[in-house]
Amino acid sequence: MSGPVTLAAFARDAAAQLHERLLGLLHGALPRVGVLAPGAFACDLAGTDRLLGAPPVVARRILARCERAGMHVSIGIAPVPFVARALAERTPPGELRAVSDGRTYLEPLSLDALPLDEKVLGELELLGLRTIGDFAALPRGAVFERFGSAVARAHALARGEYGDLVRADAPPRRILVRRVWDDAIASREQLVFALRGAVDEVEAMLAADGVAALRLDLRLVRDGEPPLRIERTILPPARESAALLRSLRWALEERDDLGQITGCALGVVEVEPARGRQIGLFAADGARWEEAIATARYLRAKLGAGVVLRPRIADADARLPERAAEWAEVTR
Amino acid sequence: MGATGLAKAMARIEGRYGAHALARGAAAERHRGELVLATDSSLDAVTEGGLAAGEPLAFVGPASVGKVSLALRVAAAAQRTGGMVAWIDPSASFDPVAAARAGVECERLVVVRARSAADAALATSATLRSEGFRLTVVDTGPSFAGIGIDDLASVLPSVRGSPAALLIVGEERGRRVAIPTCTFERVSWERRFERTVGWTFEVGRFGGPWGQRPLDARALFAIPSLGAATHDLGTRGELAAMAVS
Repeated sequence: MSGPVTLAAFARDAAAQLHERLLGLLHGALPRVGVLAPGAFACDLAGTDRLLGAPPVVARRILARCERAGMHVSIGIAPVPFVARALAERTPPGELRAVSDGRTYLEPLSLDALPLDEKVLGELELLGLRTIGDFAALPRGAVFERFGSAVARAHALARGEYGDLVRADAPPRRILVRRVWDDAIASREQLVFALRGAVDEVEAMLAADGVAALRLDLRLVRDGEPPLRIERTILPPARESAALLRSLRWALEERDDLGQITGCALGVVEVEPARGRQIGLFAADGARWEEAIATARYLRAKLGAGVVLRPRIADADARLPERAAEWAEVTR
Repeated sequence: MGATGLAKAMARIEGRYGAHALARGAAAERHRGELVLATDSSLDAVTEGGLAAGEPLAFVGPASVGKVSLALRVAAAAQRTGGMVAWIDPSASFDPVAAARAGVECERLVVVRARSAADAALATSATLRSEGFRLTVVDTGPSFAGIGIDDLASVLPSVRGSPAALLIVGEERGRRVAIPTCTFERVSWERRFERTVGWTFEVGRFGGPWGQRPLDARALFAIPSLGAATHDLGTRGELAAMAVS
């Protein structure tokens, strides 16, 4: 299966001990495990088909392990974490359910399932909206304009669109490196070089803790302007300075508003246990996918529409070559 | 002052010679063995085991000789390792059906129809710097398309340190840039019932240690008919050994 796949594991009334045991079990079996809430976990299965098997096979294996360990867990499989979690929460313990179309599954559910304030829920009820399907049918722009970005995010969740990444763990200790430069740096290349020292220091700290960085937070102090914050997801998670620096360079190349940089603070906000080169095995198929699609989107923004395309074979035996294949913009 | 001065000097060097011109001693360099795209064909004998990440290679030869067919094989090999492939296609001549026939998965392929040499260079550089691709193929198209290997000189420094290999397909070798090159030559035509239905071509390594072109570094392929898959006939050395035995 290509594209994102999330497996959510949910244990009702999970005590702290059960939470830790289940987390340990999932960490031992799957490459990327995120904690959603006590007893609720989202695991990114993108790209693990060849190594682990199809998602339902993986899920059944996890269920069997949990049963042997005396844990009663329900599992949901869906394209995005939110739908997978909603599915797992509504599945009896010891069972698994999978959906491929998140929006259709969410439609009949009550609005309570969405992360919305009581006040907003009240307003939506006054508007006659009862189910997630009713809410999802509202125009996106109107929701954003009327309720703001937080409700717009919930609206995207309701449409089964919000493919938020699985959040990993915070590092065991704070990993933050600061640099101050005497002369302001105006060139991007110069800045990338100046960041090398900080990145090397981060690499050493990651290595000492045996973890790999999944998310970096770079704050650039600018002369006469407010600080610039750049958040970067590293896929696959890495601790090598070359990989971290490459990702930062890529982020900086997208910015035209760097200004005069006088200092920086580079922190690691999410980490995963370092798994050596094995992480590359998982990354090969799925995790790099997101990076490739991000590159395609960047190129589309730079080169315009109709340039960055993906072909699809419509009819390999078509007499006319133009009917044999179809072309579509690369969006995901 | 020391650190800033050094930063400026290094930035000047990188600005002149490319982003990857310098590497710290402690920087994790990629090893050649870490990622080699082997096609499991005689092409591997010509390319010393296959295309490696962080290295460029050019397929050069006359039009319609079989360069793109073998480039598609390399793309399929890159996808077999689990990666995605970027195909920069300024002449908009990419044929998805031929690609699928060569084993390329269209789902894991991004085709960039760059409209100019500058756009092609930008797309090549972006895909090489991304962590998302295993192979970037630049098909410069026919010589009259106006894009040549020389137009990609600016992106070559980006290859080193990239997780992707760069394969450039063109009709003529670059005059200003020197990169490892495989030359394609048509050897014979395949004729049936007085009609030409296919051809055989030879792939050899140009220059470098292969200057003398030993028999094992020259591979023969056949395209038995239009639209058919490329047949691997083996290296000249293998064929010579078979002939002797």
